[in-house]
Amino acid sequence: MKALEISHVTFSYHQKAPLPKEGADWALRDFSMQVQAGEMHALVGPNGAGKTTLMKLITGQLRGGRGDIKIYGRKPDDPAALSAIGYAPQPVSVFASLSAWENLRVFGVMANLPDDVLKERAMAVLEATGLLPYAKKRTATYSGGMLRRLNLAVALLHSPRLLLLDEPTVGVDPQSRNNIYETLSKLNAQGVAAVLCTHIMDEAQRMCSSITLLDRGEVIFSGAMKDIPDLEKFFLEKTGRSLRDDS
Amino acid sequence: MLKQLKELIRKEMLVLLREKQTVPLLFLMPVALIFFLSLALQGVYLDKLTGRQIMLVLENQARGPKSNLLEQKLSAHRSIQQVERPRGYSNDQLFESGKAHAVIVIPQGFDEGLKPVEVEFDPVLDAGYKAATRALLTSLTAEVVMGIDDIEAMTTRFIVEKTQKNTAFPGPLQNAVPGWSIFAMFFIAIPMSIGFLREKNDGTLQRLFTYPVGAHVIILGKLIPYYLINLVQFALMLLVGIGVMPFFIRYPFTLGSHPWHLLPITLVVAAASTGFGVLVAATAKAPEQSSALAATGAVLMAVFGGIMVPTALMPVFMKKLAMLSPMYWAHQAYLDVFMRQAAWRSILPKLAVLTLFASVCFYIAGRKVKWM
Repeated sequence: MKALEISHVTFSYHQKAPLPKEGADWALRDFSMQVQAGEMHALVGPNGAGKTTLMKLITGQLRGGRGDIKIYGRKPDDPAALSAIGYAPQPVSVFASLSAWENLRVFGVMANLPDDVLKERAMAVLEATGLLPYAKKRTATYSGGMLRRLNLAVALLHSPRLLLLDEPTVGVDPQSRNNIYETLSKLNAQGVAAVLCTHIMDEAQRMCSSITLLDRGEVIFSGAMKDIPDLEKFFLEKTGRSLRDDS
Repeated sequence: MLKQLKELIRKEMLVLLREKQTVPLLFLMPVALIFFLSLALQGVYLDKLTGRQIMLVLENQARGPKSNLLEQKLSAHRSIQQVERPRGYSNDQLFESGKAHAVIVIPQGFDEGLKPVEVEFDPVLDAGYKAATRALLTSLTAEVVMGIDDIEAMTTRFIVEKTQKNTAFPGPLQNAVPGWSIFAMFFIAIPMSIGFLREKNDGTLQRLFTYPVGAHVIILGKLIPYYLINLVQFALMLLVGIGVMPFFIRYPFTLGSHPWHLLPITLVVAAASTGFGVLVAATAKAPEQSSALAATGAVLMAVFGGIMVPTALMPVFMKKLAMLSPMYWAHQAYLDVFMRQAAWRSILPKLAVLTLFASVCFYIAGRKVKWM
């Protein structure tokens, strides 16, 4: 079964309708990608390639454009589709004035978790991310690594079947990174699908079984990870060595 | 949906009340303003003839029957406190040292009608006191010169005072309590816009939109807490006005004869101030910018709207300009209740203006803001 199916998606920030013509500023252009249930899929590309735009389209934060997106067969505007997604955005998006426990409560209620399930799941994700001892502390006092782990804990809280992880290990120490990898591996073993969006090629190669490489809004490679011996080298060959300073 | 809304309101309240600036800004600032400005401005509101005594040096150089009678009448008047000139003090020294507000000299030749009574005021004395003292001196001198016993009793045949007590000019508390409450309510725009922009910049607001929760629930979850805080602010200020301030100020605070009118007025004023907050949040790009924008906007509206300077003291041009400020309409609506015992139909147009202001703010913000 397909956890995520993206078919011929074209999107631009600069024009709503009609879509921009040839040579215009595309965020995504005729983009297609598939992730099978239980698969961990790497989404890699240089800065400004369209990765975050794609994440926002999948999670319903952005609308418009052309093409089709389906999450377990449902469109992003379907509440059941949103319930199936666990999204960890690239910026750590938790309420700094609240504790980890309070943050999980807010997002758990948003995900329509019943009170008893919410408590049970909150304990489980706090345990898994090593944050249980600090659950009652305000997140403003957390280190970068703890915040990243909480960002992931929020995404895991409602037991999603598809994880969307936008650079989940950026700026964290090796211990926190290892904890995040272990948590993801366990979930993957339980059949949870994931799209891992990252600039760390070693991470993508180690964690994922398939890959989509995109640049300037277009797919430039899609296939199995086992066919690529050195992802870093492959990435530079496909996208070039010139600097990309656009975000 | 209700559970989600309740949770969002709870979250917003927690975030808001854990901000160090919130309680001082929204609750302590208006209490302090009501307290100190009511005390400081007490003199502006006092009855110029009966409210405070004028300290004056009275020098009778004539010592004739008329001049003695005038001295006697002046000395006996309840609004005059006669003081002695310290040895060697000139008039300027008297005023500079604060020992007297005025000097009245009855010169030799007054009894014969050759010389008039001389009066010199402290140059910084309030114009109202000057006018009141001058009027008193004129009437008492006229009584003495014309041989009338009580000129005030005589003039009641021609002039009858019909003004109702406290209806033309608000007392210090009647003006300050609603005024500074409104000011504080509009200051809600500061924490509101900062909170909104912070969540937008750190991605938490966008993250909420990735859950199966309606956009209207998220928006209401951000507005309702501030609206509720506005209502609490007004209730608290009212309690301060009724329960605390009368211990410090001689003019009592009264609710008027239709206190239940305060409820709809406060609901509409809270909507206007919340609308202002949303507009600031939608207009500003960064929390620092929103803070400056909200504070400047609220202060300007207060200056023009008769909060900082009562409209009763403003020149005609400024009174017209005041109508541009929503705070003016809010203040007038409250004064309708506290001072004028106004009927509901007099208050409604003011509430209509405030509702229009709130609607325009929400409309512009709705068009401008990119929630995601």
